[in-house]
Amino acid sequence: MRKFLVLLLMVVLLATTFSQQVTLRMIQVFTSPLRTKILEEIIAKFEAQNPGVKIELISPPYETAYQKIYLMVSAEEPLDIVEVGDWSLSALASMGKLLSLEPYLAKSELPKYFVPGVLEAARTYKGTAYLLPNALYVKTLFYRPDITSKYGFPNPPKTMDELLQYCRALTKPEIGQYGFNFRGKGYPTAFIDIVMTSFFDDIDPNCMYLKKDGKLIFEDPRALEGLKFYIELYKTAPKDSINWGFDEQVNAFVSGITPYLFQDPDTVGLLKELMKEGTYKTAPLPIGKGGKAYPTLGFSGWGITSYSKHKDLAWKFLEFFNSPEINAYWCREYGALPVDKRVYEIDPYFKSEVFAGWRAMFDDPKHYQFTKYPLDNEAWSEWNELHETTMQQVLLGKMKPEDALKTWANFWKKAGLGK
Amino acid sequence: MKKRKVGTIFRVVALSLYLVFAVFPLAWIFLTSIKPATEVYTFPVRYLPSRPTLEAYRYLFSFARFGVYFKNSFIVTVVSAGLSTVFAVMAGYVLTRERFKFREVLVLVLFFVQMLPTYLVMIPLFTMFSRLKLTNSLVGVITVYTSFGSAFGTIMARAFLRNIPKDIEEAAMIDGCSKPGALLRVVVPVLLPGIGAIFSFCFVNSWNEVFTAILFLHSDHKMTVPVALYSFVSKAGIQWNVMAAGLVVALVPTICVFAFAQRYIVQGLTQGALKG
Amino acid sequence: MKKLWVVLMLLPTFSLVFLLNLYPLVRGGVISFQRLTVFNLNNPRYVGLANYETILRDPNFPRILWNTLVWIAWSVSLQFIFGLILALLLEKPFKGRGAYMGFVFYPWALSGFAIGLLWSWLLNGQFGVVNDLLVRMRFIKVPIGFLSDERFAMMSVILVNVWYGIPFFAIMLLAALQSVPRELYEAAQIDGAGFFQRLFGITLPYIRPTVVSTILLRIIWVMNFPDIIYGMTRGGPAGVTTILSVQMLNVVYYRNNFGLASALGVIVTAVLLAFAVVYLSLLEKGEFEL
Repeated sequence: MRKFLVLLLMVVLLATTFSQQVTLRMIQVFTSPLRTKILEEIIAKFEAQNPGVKIELISPPYETAYQKIYLMVSAEEPLDIVEVGDWSLSALASMGKLLSLEPYLAKSELPKYFVPGVLEAARTYKGTAYLLPNALYVKTLFYRPDITSKYGFPNPPKTMDELLQYCRALTKPEIGQYGFNFRGKGYPTAFIDIVMTSFFDDIDPNCMYLKKDGKLIFEDPRALEGLKFYIELYKTAPKDSINWGFDEQVNAFVSGITPYLFQDPDTVGLLKELMKEGTYKTAPLPIGKGGKAYPTLGFSGWGITSYSKHKDLAWKFLEFFNSPEINAYWCREYGALPVDKRVYEIDPYFKSEVFAGWRAMFDDPKHYQFTKYPLDNEAWSEWNELHETTMQQVLLGKMKPEDALKTWANFWKKAGLGK
Repeated sequence: MKKRKVGTIFRVVALSLYLVFAVFPLAWIFLTSIKPATEVYTFPVRYLPSRPTLEAYRYLFSFARFGVYFKNSFIVTVVSAGLSTVFAVMAGYVLTRERFKFREVLVLVLFFVQMLPTYLVMIPLFTMFSRLKLTNSLVGVITVYTSFGSAFGTIMARAFLRNIPKDIEEAAMIDGCSKPGALLRVVVPVLLPGIGAIFSFCFVNSWNEVFTAILFLHSDHKMTVPVALYSFVSKAGIQWNVMAAGLVVALVPTICVFAFAQRYIVQGLTQGALKG
Repeated sequence: MKKLWVVLMLLPTFSLVFLLNLYPLVRGGVISFQRLTVFNLNNPRYVGLANYETILRDPNFPRILWNTLVWIAWSVSLQFIFGLILALLLEKPFKGRGAYMGFVFYPWALSGFAIGLLWSWLLNGQFGVVNDLLVRMRFIKVPIGFLSDERFAMMSVILVNVWYGIPFFAIMLLAALQSVPRELYEAAQIDGAGFFQRLFGITLPYIRPTVVSTILLRIIWVMNFPDIIYGMTRGGPAGVTTILSVQMLNVVYYRNNFGLASALGVIVTAVLLAFAVVYLSLLEKGEFEL
């Protein structure tokens, strides 16, 4: 009897050790009900393949997500996988709470199939990969041929001058028709910079605010031209757009008030729900006087906390997430651009009309040079507020463009950028 | 007679104007919540949906799992508002009726606490709770809400109690009642409108509180309603019809509490007037 | 015995207040003297008054203070006046009063951020309902940029704050009005006093303590209530609606500088404290018995 009991006890003990459940905790930044659903589906697939593993997804509201992550990570709240966006990478990495993924990458197949620029993006902070990117964000031109054809412009503008010309022709405030979909608040810097840099032809591929000779672009007379041109574009948008954030931009595009929009690929997911297919198309960013356009490569991905108790398991999930089928599914549903070359070849979705704009830019490096923001500079987080306020003052006529440029130049000089 | 008629007409007109002013945004939210997604963003503005639909509400309760959030909010709010009211009446009574050293100081402290911006206190509070492992728990959130609610509630309780003359309790105590007994049996019934008001305010404040909840609660199954609503504001814009549906649903309990509290206030006041 | 009774009754409220409000305040105050940004969350540096200097030297600071003053003065006075009118209108019971109150007081039940969101849509310069109605009723020809035109932005946010705050005053004042003994009115009526004489001679003086503390409380809350402004304009356009607490939010969310934000928080608290002291000393002693 005793022997039997001891045996039973051993069996039970063994059983519990092997069926011990491991729970990983994961937090996302760009929360939305749709995105959360997609993530949960991917997690379910992973859990099915790995019995005994559970992943708990934390989804804070987007507007406060960065703060929440910073606080949780610094307080070492139980977290294993953290979503890292290009704008939060330096902050998180400098806290010292992100695990370097280099050893894992060295043993992995994934880097072989990365789209050019992805590995450098992962290594933005001090040359070490602190995240595994799984989505790329590049701004392109969205337009409404159904509306623009009415005014004689069935094709998208190829140059900035054409863009201004078309927008001006469309602007008829009496009937509520305007041209350019302007972004006034909530990180407008990305939009202004597209226009301003198009006046240059010698932007540094490693830093959008520097020229190849190392000087700041804000001190170059072409920046003034670019800024003045941008003000002209504002005149083809409703005055109210000085207050427009993402939501207002989408609304204006969907309702047709401003049929020319610069935006990221994740807008596609939203537009799919709000508009009929085929009503809008994408085209590459218009080229500027410099004969080029300089889109930035935005990215986001997953990182692993340095204090995680299940680092290898977390990496397993990251690799799973980046496998071609999952990457394709993720980007297709969510609307970002995949990081894996194979996806572009296999998946017909990424060959469709909707992705015309991005494909054209990727295929034409002569005219479309990808560049980066100085994200690893500590001053970057302060830049946005300053830029937004001064830009609004310029648009309201309270500040001269020359003075704004001087303010910007001084800001970056103080931050250690530019000779 | 004429004066009274003019007075009544004026009353009716003024009250109706205010009703329109107050209620039209609510009507707008409601209409938006029954619009199909494609009619939310239109120009010119569309008031009535072409075909009213409950798809936003369905989405809310299935896709967005609103039922769970509702339950959590309910627990957190009712418990914290209830506790706050009880603590507030206790502290308010003693601060009004008794004299003791530091009484004025304590009242000043209560007012002072109202002046603290939430953000100033938030980060140290988070670190403290994190170390105590009280984050990601409804108990932690209830505790925080009760601290805000009871401080503010005590101020309100004092204001109401000062309007109630001491004679009532003194009479009861002459009759042989103990202090706590007098409080419960004599003061509280007269204070009911005040209690109703305190509970309603604490309820509404806790129900709508967003920022503490966002920071302190992580797991999805512990989320409260305002956080869920805020989650609809994403990088990729706002789903307005769903957000509107969420707002309508979130409003229902608070409106009920208010409506219920009104009755108490009115009832309790007629009592108080009779007692003179 | 009495001492124990007093302590026990005060214990729940004040232990929570001391532990969860005052202690973190001290820590928050400490942070204001540190350079604590998201980049050095785990090893802050003491920098003395540097954060305060940054705030006070900011050329925008005087304008932010002025905006704060305008915001508070207009919001609270309008809320009070209209709240009082509403309370007076509701004082005499009528059929359906309960239902009316239930309906009309709901703005108070909405969260600040929901209100900001909702009204930013209603007041939108292009697709806003308000503009649409005004144009249709031929009050204006061209839509007004309520939130994008600097002339209208402050007015609009104040209007929304008033819309939100009237119920609070109405409820508090109604409860206070109903505590006025009827005999006083009856005596006044015998003396032939008119409506306004009754109002200013009896009602208002009698409820003065409640009025005074409600107004003070509301001023404090309005000061610390950036949600509506933040949700509608984020403090824009070009900073015309930025008040102290909005600036604090901007510093936290845009600049991720917690040391600076804490310093702003301390300044906000100090301003409120100074104001409260002035407010209370301006009133006759005994009016506001603590």
